[in-house]
Parts: sequence; structure tokens; C-alpha cells
Amino acid sequence: MEAQVAATKAREERELSLLDVCEQLVRLAKKAGASDSEAYAERTRDSSVKVRDGNVEELQQATSKGVGLRVFSAGRLGFAYGTDFSKDGLRRLAQSAVSLAKGAAKDEFNQLPRGTQLGRAADGAYDPAIEDIDPAWKLRVARAAEGAAAQVDRRVRKFDSTGAGDFLSQSAIASSRGASAESRASYVYVYCSPVAEADGQLQTASWSDTRRRLSELQPPEEVGRIAAQRAARMLGARKVKTQKAAIIFEPQQAAGFIAGLAGAVNGDLVHKKSSFLAALLGKRIASEQVTLADDATLERGLATRPFDGEGVISQRTVVIDRGVLRNFLYDTYTARKAGARSTGSAARGWSTLPHVGTSNFVLEAGGKSADEIVRSTRRGLLVTAMLGSGANVVTGEYSRGANGLWIEDGQIAHAVQEVTVSGSLLDLLQAIDAVGDDLDLRSSTAAPTLRIAEAVISGS
Amino acid sequence: MPKAVRAPAPARAPLLPLPLVEKLLSAAMSRGAGFGEVYVERSTTTAVSLDEGKVRSAQVGSVTGVGVRAIRGAQVGYAYSDDLDEAALLRTAQTAALIADGTRDPGPVALSRTPLPTYYQVKQPLAGVDVARKVELVREADAAARAHDRRVKQVMAGYADQTREILVANTLGHLAEDRQDLCRLGVSCVAFGKGGERRTGFYGGGGRVDFRFFEDFSPAQVGREAARQAVATLGAVPAPAGPQTVVLAPGWSGILLHEAVGHGLEADFIRKGTSLFAGKLGEKVASELVTVVDDGTVAGGRGSLNVDDEGNPGERKVLIEKGVLKGYLYDHLNAQLTGQRSTGSGRRQSFRHAPMPRMTNTYLAPGDQTPDEIVRGVRKGLYCRQFGGGQVDISNGNFVFEISEAYLIEDGEITKPVKGAMLIGVGPEALKNVSAVGSDAAHDPGLGTCGKDGQTVPVGVGLPTVRIDNVTVGGTGA
Repeated sequence: MEAQVAATKAREERELSLLDVCEQLVRLAKKAGASDSEAYAERTRDSSVKVRDGNVEELQQATSKGVGLRVFSAGRLGFAYGTDFSKDGLRRLAQSAVSLAKGAAKDEFNQLPRGTQLGRAADGAYDPAIEDIDPAWKLRVARAAEGAAAQVDRRVRKFDSTGAGDFLSQSAIASSRGASAESRASYVYVYCSPVAEADGQLQTASWSDTRRRLSELQPPEEVGRIAAQRAARMLGARKVKTQKAAIIFEPQQAAGFIAGLAGAVNGDLVHKKSSFLAALLGKRIASEQVTLADDATLERGLATRPFDGEGVISQRTVVIDRGVLRNFLYDTYTARKAGARSTGSAARGWSTLPHVGTSNFVLEAGGKSADEIVRSTRRGLLVTAMLGSGANVVTGEYSRGANGLWIEDGQIAHAVQEVTVSGSLLDLLQAIDAVGDDLDLRSSTAAPTLRIAEAVISGS
Repeated sequence: MPKAVRAPAPARAPLLPLPLVEKLLSAAMSRGAGFGEVYVERSTTTAVSLDEGKVRSAQVGSVTGVGVRAIRGAQVGYAYSDDLDEAALLRTAQTAALIADGTRDPGPVALSRTPLPTYYQVKQPLAGVDVARKVELVREADAAARAHDRRVKQVMAGYADQTREILVANTLGHLAEDRQDLCRLGVSCVAFGKGGERRTGFYGGGGRVDFRFFEDFSPAQVGREAARQAVATLGAVPAPAGPQTVVLAPGWSGILLHEAVGHGLEADFIRKGTSLFAGKLGEKVASELVTVVDDGTVAGGRGSLNVDDEGNPGERKVLIEKGVLKGYLYDHLNAQLTGQRSTGSGRRQSFRHAPMPRMTNTYLAPGDQTPDEIVRGVRKGLYCRQFGGGQVDISNGNFVFEISEAYLIEDGEITKPVKGAMLIGVGPEALKNVSAVGSDAAHDPGLGTCGKDGQTVPVGVGLPTVRIDNVTVGGTGA
């Protein structure tokens, strides 16, 4: 009997679209006493395969869903989330959010976006071909990557992991201020992390590719080969002396470096004077070669979306223009507080409140090849992997563990490990003296090869 | 293996009816897997945050789901669902079963409960405590931080708790149920000095403790300590770069062990041969002053577990004894594949994740020197009082950890504050350079979260005052 009731309930859920769920919640919130409300829901399908020695190591597949409800009740904010989409579940969620709002402080800046600010449905980031990927395809791809990696160097025999997977998501938003939109997104990925071993030393490296379109995925053999080469070239790594020298960040490490700036241009931290960039709007903060934008409309971008986490239409925001700090990033609440406009920068999942975050945070490509940059470096460290979180956006200090390759007279001399790269972020940004032409949107925060003329390397 | 004993059913109904659990186990085995497991989780999370002195929001979330795992040899099938009706759950179990490709009638599974001790100090589930009391806690902490010093101008205070109920059942017949409550109060703040200088402070604590924990661990004390850190480091000079003698203050500094050795002893890395500690059992890997323990049985500890996420009881494991490597941390799968037994180290972030070997509370056993003696014995070095996060590369053993509050040691005295310091080293080398261990055993106040392979779990760490020679300090000073 109980099972039968449950089955009926499930059918009823399946008939509801995500947008229906959101709209129902908005109505229930109003009934429960909210003056304004907004519901955001997601449904995802996640499927992956890991291989080891050509065999399946792990097969994973699941769908999941959830919805979050933000309510304003007399200027007070309440938030509740859950995974139960039944009528009762939604009613409880609405009551919970409204009752939680009673304990919050009244805040005049609590408002929902409305009117022309709101974006509409779009499917630009969705590739139907990814929907049809089966486990056998993923197994083939992962095997190909592992197989190719094992052919590169006899010192590369072990693997941390190799795999492939795909991800589909649908999201919907509805609000009492007229938001009503749905969007879909998808991506597919392959990765390989081999371990090279020689003379008692182990070195792991990894390479991966993630794309919005199946047809653009890097061939798995190439992913495997690159990963194995990266592991093998780290063998024999050693410390270098503590010194000042040039730092070259490979594109992925350059992306990690600019990720440290993402927090510093968060309008919320800026408003609280808790960012080292807070007082520098309109000032020159970086070398003239640096132009950086947050762009949620970028074709092929992994964070491209029609609207942000509160339904605000996506845009491109120039953050640094030829070295000059031009804009900070805002969601609706922080924009109102700071007397600015939302830049469509609300990040969220169904279990979190909207908060300021980046979309595609990208440093524009320059004119030099990575090779030219290395060849024109007299003495320095080409950073290929890093440890630690690095940037302190409040104080503007930067210090991070680094692995990489030592460069003498434009040539790679030997592998390096157990050193740190340190400096003030402003000094490092000003000292960027070469920007590569190798920008590739393989992550939502992306940058080409960057060279910093001089930073402190701590070692022996 | 835990001894399975028929125990009287607990008063509450199981998270999922047991006949359905048994049906799902059979479905997971239906294609010839050798082991099946069902994991049911219901968690309720409450969070309160204060922003610029005002309650920004109070929030509550509740999530229920089921994860099903089927293992054949070294191969794992995993599927999960937040749809709890029988048909959806059976589909989930059949998806996990796809890891095997035969057919088999596994026969019925008879479940019996594993009796459990309790290491938690929670009477009332935290989810049931009135939100207003949680708000009050955060207000007090916030006010104390602001009142501490007028240079403290930005304060972010927050409280979060989770009441998580789990049920784990497997085809060996084990059934375990546990309620794992966890809470944390934290305050971060920014102090403003001359010429636009900013320094930050962070402090907090909690664990698997009753809400009354905060009667002793007072929110005011949490706020004041966060403020003290921020103010204490105003006017700091750049940290000296290069190799030095460092003294680590007790407590949260235990993150050193977590990064420098803990991860490298997790049995998945050992089995794959990708950790530099693989094959070194019985070898000297640290100074003989070093005894490292991973202990899931610490009373109220943030990483403590009556039962792990595979149904095995929490344990106290000696990993390194007087410098000699004694053992690794095993989950079910890696223990099975290498002929070992699980050490109760199989953990997962939620029903959406397959378990893997993880640490619980990792600490260094105390030595016999007083903290004063240790500092006085250093002519020139760095005293590290508060710490940020850390990270390790399992293969080459390189680890880093960030120092958020540090001072120079000059002729045995703690002197000027320094900024921007970070330590980097190679696990076994750093542990061989441990030259003094204090008698002041200490655990962290209950702050730690550990990330591995995309999954986060709460952990505890601990370290007495320790001196390490010849550690590379990342900084910009001379």
C-alpha cells in the first residue's frame, strides 16, 4: 500500500516541469505570507567511467534535483531548500522559508531584480549529442587516454586515475517580480593522471579537457600523451636557491593566478573595504598588457549562461582594461548596497543563496607564443603545478607552493619542486611583461601563458 | 570485521523500511557482483550568518537520498537517487549492478544490526534547537569581536549545524544506523591599520557536541580571539624567505600531519602505488619523537565516527610509532583487495558519493618538553601561532600550509609579527627534522574540513608545540 502511494507521488512529480515547481513555490510562499519570493530549481544527470589497466574501475550514473526558495517578508530574508518536490514537501519548504525570515534583520536593500533586467530562456550551452553518450563510449575514451599515456615513457607505469564523463543540467527560476525562465547546459570531459617513477621519486601530473560540445573534445589519446609527458618531465625535480627570478605561468597556472583576483573584484568585499582593490577603481593596477573581463555571454565558455542565479540577463563586464581597474562585480543585493548596478554576477546552486561570483573570467590573449616567452627568459621558473590557495584578497599578499621547470638562457634546465612563489599581488600584476597567444577556454577562469618579470622564489 | 549481534530495534523507524533495503541489496547483486551496499542519508542543515552586525539570513535545508554500490573484484558500480519511491530506488540499484555483466540469483540477504558505542556528546539533535538560540550565539560572537578593538571594522560571524542520520547495509549482512550531529561557530574579521593596511583574523570551533557546548566555549571568546589575531598582526614585517627553524603552536597546527603524512597513508594511494609511503611499512619515516595517531573515537571530535560510511565502527589507529611507519587507513574496498581489514576509515560526503579512505581526527602524541623550553632553544626562527589551510601532492610528498599569524624568534624570544608566511616541505623529510615535541597535547577547536577527489568531510587535527629544523618558509623578506 505504502509503495503504491509512493509511486503515485512520483508520477505527479514527473509531470511537473522545473519551472512548474518554481512557480508553485512562489504561489505557496505568497500564501504563507511572503511579500516577495523567488524559487530556483535544478535537475542534473551525472555519468562517469574510471578505468585502470584497461578495465572499468568505477561506473557511476545518477540524476538528482533540488530547489531553493528565497523569500522577503517585510524586508527580512529567509531561505530554505530541499529535494522533496511533492505538494507537501513544497508547502513545508515555503512555510519554513517564511518563518525563518522572521529571525532576520530588516534590510532595505533586500529586493528582487525585475523588468528589463530579467533574462529569458536559451539553450546555447546545450549539446543534444552529449545526452546520447553511452557508458561504452566513455569506456572507450578513457581506455584510449590511459593506453596512450602508457606508451609515452617507460617510467610512466602507474596511474592515479583516468576517466571520462558527461553532465547535463536544467535549471529554472521564477519570482513574484516576473522572473520566469528555464535553461539547459551540458558538458563532456576526459582526464588522465599518470604517475612517473624513477630513482625512488614519484611525480604525478594530470591533463584534462572539458567542453560544451562533444565535437570539440580533445582526442583522448592526446590527453593521455600530454599527461604522461608532463609527469615524466618532472622526474629529478629539486629545490632551487632562494632568489628573485622571472616566473612564467603556464595557461592553467595563469588561470589559477587570476582566480585570486576574482575575490578581490567581488562588489561585496569591495563595499566592505575588505579587498586590496577597494580604493583603486580607475587606477592603473596591472601592466598595460593586461585586459580582463567577466563574460557570461562568451561563445564556448564553460560558464556561459542566458541569465545569472537571480534571473538577471548575462553580460560582459570589463574588469581590467589595459592595466586600468574598470569595474567590480555585483549581484542585485550588493549592487543596491553599493549604489551600483547588478552585473549579472549572482552565482548560486539550489542549496545556496545567490552571492557574487564570476562566470567566464578571462584574461585576453597577447601576441607572443609560449615558446617565444620561454626562449626570451634568461633565468626563471616555468610553473606547471601549484599547491595551496595562494592569494589573500584582503591583504593583497600572494604566496603559493610551486612545481615546474627551471629556465636558464631560454632553455629548460631541470625540474623544480618544493619552492614557493611570493609577492604582493599589485607588484606581480604590474610586473607582467609578456602575455601569450595561447588562450584556451578549457576552464571558466582562463588565461594564456603569463610572465612576471620578477618575484621571490623561496627554496634552499 | 565487526561482530554482528542481533540487537533490539531502536525506537525510531529505520530511514528506509528494511524489507526494501534487502530488496535493493538483492537488485545490486543481480548481475553477479560480489558485494552490495545500500546507504541511506537524511540530513538537515541550519545556517545563520551575520553581516555588518545584522542577521543577513537564517536558512534551513533538508536532503534525503540513497546511494547503492555494487563491487565486483576491483570494479565499482555506483548510483544514487533522491527519489525515494520503490521503483526509482530499484532502478538505482540495477544501475549500480551494471558493473557486473552476468546473471545470478543472489538469494535473500538477512540483516543484523552492529551494536555501536558512542563517541558523540550530543543529547538533543542540533536540528531541533530553536533557530533564535543560534542567532543569539552569532550575535554575541559578532559583538565581542567589534568591542575588542576599534581597529576591527569588518566582522563576519556565522553558525552552521547539521543533523545527519545514516543507515548502511551490505550483503555481508551488516546493518548500522547512526545519527551524526555536527556544528561550528566561526568569526572572521578585518582590522585596519595605518596607510590602508589590512589584517585578518579567524577563529571558531564546535564538533559533534551538544548545543550546550557553547556555554563553555563561549561565543564572546571566539569573537575576541578572531579580533586579537587581526590586530596582533598589524604592522607585520614581510616573512623571511628560505630555510629556517620553525616552532608550531599547539592545536590547529596539526594540519601539518594531515598534509605531510596523513593523506599519503590512505590505502587507495597505497594500493595504486602512487603515494611515497607505499611499501614503507616498518621503515623509519620520521624522527623518533614522532608518534602519529588517527582516532575516530575522540569524544565530541569533529572527525569522530561511531560508525563510518560503510558501517564499520570508528577506531583509534597508530600510524607512525616513534618514527616507524605502522599502518595505513583502510576502507572496505582497499582492505578487501589487499587482504587487510577496514580501519573504519571509509567516508563519503553524502549519498551522492562513493566512499573512500579518509582521516578522522589526526594528531601527534605529546612529548616531554615544555613549550617555553622549546622556544627558548631557538636562536633565530619563526613562531607560527595560527594557520590557514594546506595541501599535499601525494606522489612527491610536497606539502604546503599557510601561516596566518607568525612571529620572529630572536635569541629564544618571540618578537615581531610577520606577514605572508607559508611553509613548504616534503612529508618524510619534514618529519625527520622534528627536533622537539611539547608536553602540551592539543586538538584543534573543531574547524577542519578536508577535501579529496571532490568530496569534503569534517576532520579534526592536533599537535603539541613542535620544533622543526630546516623548513622552507615562503615569504618576501630577507
